[in-house]
Amino acid sequence: MRTQRVESSSFNALFREALSRWQEEVVQLDLVDPVTTEMVRLRCAEHHDCHT
Amino acid sequence: MARSTSHFFDEVLGERAGVKKELANIHDLAWDVVDKELLSMCKLRVAMILGCDKEVASARQYLDPSKAEAIMQWASSNIFTDEEKSCLRFTEEFIIDVSSIPDASAVAVREHLGEEGFVTFVNALLVVEQRIRLLLVWSKLVGNTDT
Repeated sequence: MRTQRVESSSFNALFREALSRWQEEVVQLDLVDPVTTEMVRLRCAEHHDCHT
Repeated sequence: MARSTSHFFDEVLGERAGVKKELANIHDLAWDVVDKELLSMCKLRVAMILGCDKEVASARQYLDPSKAEAIMQWASSNIFTDEEKSCLRFTEEFIIDVSSIPDASAVAVREHLGEEGFVTFVNALLVVEQRIRLLLVWSKLVGNTDT
């Protein structure tokens, strides 16, 4: 079990918002079916220790 | 004449205007919020590890040639600052196994860049890494050999 080292939202607001918009655009793509997309998303989140 | 990576991405993404715009935006912002020489140095190391010759060449043009030449020996070289070494160590670990980065590596970067600077650096590094991986994968998918 790893502990969070720093607050992940505490960085440049413009950059943070741009990253969020990028992610929102990516998840709206529909060429990959939803189940495969979710499996990949969960695998990546686990590997990156991301809880969001 | 070789196409730029941005031009290539525009072609691959085609009519997906939203993704295209935001991908370009995060790339531009990554270079605005982190010291360009430091990020170029890390980008060069990422491109070398991932085997992306095009981005190796792109990163080299913004670097002191002596540092670009010595980058594979950064750990034992005396031409890199402690800040640069901490970021290069973190970069290598980030690229090779992001889930196993030692706390000491993260703490070292944070000591040099500050807490906000550290988080900004990690996100910029993610953008740089993602761009190079996309270039490599998309190039294979569409048969582009210019990487």
